[in-house]
Amino acid sequence: METSPAMQTLTLVCGYTICVLIGLLGLVVLWKIFDGSIDLSELLDETGGGASMSRFQLLIFTFVFAFSLFLVIVSAKTPAFPNIPGTVLSLLGISGSSYLVSKGIQFSDPAALRAQGTEIVISPNKATVAPGKTQQFTADVSKAGAKLVWEKIAGDGSIDATGMFTAPATVTGGHSYATIQISSPDIPGAVDLAVITIVS
Amino acid sequence: MSQLVIFMKWEVLIFLGGLAALVALQLLTGQINTDGLFRDIGPKGSGQTSSARVQLLIMTVGAAAYYISQVVANPNPGTFPAIPTAWPVILGGSNLLHLGTKAFTAWFGQRKTT
Repeated sequence: METSPAMQTLTLVCGYTICVLIGLLGLVVLWKIFDGSIDLSELLDETGGGASMSRFQLLIFTFVFAFSLFLVIVSAKTPAFPNIPGTVLSLLGISGSSYLVSKGIQFSDPAALRAQGTEIVISPNKATVAPGKTQQFTADVSKAGAKLVWEKIAGDGSIDATGMFTAPATVTGGHSYATIQISSPDIPGAVDLAVITIVS
Repeated sequence: MSQLVIFMKWEVLIFLGGLAALVALQLLTGQINTDGLFRDIGPKGSGQTSSARVQLLIMTVGAAAYYISQVVANPNPGTFPAIPTAWPVILGGSNLLHLGTKAFTAWFGQRKTT
């Protein structure tokens, strides 16, 4: 059935209007990415920090497939949505599934969900030591290779660079206390404390 | 109507190309964080370069480059080129290796202490 010239014109106008609107939307998105309003800095980051290879793979395959789809459609004699082979879908499926499984593995370990590189945990966080005796403290560090600084910030006794606390030989009144702190110049703002009771 | 089709083609090309260029630029300049992409980081990771991650990257880039080259050189325009079934198998194996290593580290690795 032949369409009237008016209907053809209307179709054309609607088509151009939609294209222009979508085009403007696309340009706005691109501009906002360019000026930083749409922040992509954590595009590849996992929940606990650090870039994810599964996300990177998904990103690459998404772009590859998008460009492939575009090239296939524009090279056709009459533009139409092409038939997508199962092997192409399987590549996308592998990439997406890998990302999901990676997420699942990550969420199976609660420790991995805490922000990376921002935490120090002292162990033990409280101890009782006899006068003149020692107590070894250790630090659980989220950032591999971080330099550690042990300090006694209150009370009696001393602590060395390896985390070995030494109680004073005598304590007044039979008991005393000390507070030690672990920090790292490589993890700004991360500290942990332990309280020591010195009892004769 | 052909003018409209040409207009749409250029629109999509500009958007896709622009997006890819922006993402590539931000990856290269470090605006998109890639810290730890190759390292086995995490509370139980060794912090060293992970061969499983490197091989996954190589396989991914290889598969992507191969597929794009097949699309560009396709003798039947307008259709997707056939991919040998070996490729999904190879890529699946590569992902399995990466995920297996990740799972082993997450479930059986030692948390770092000093």
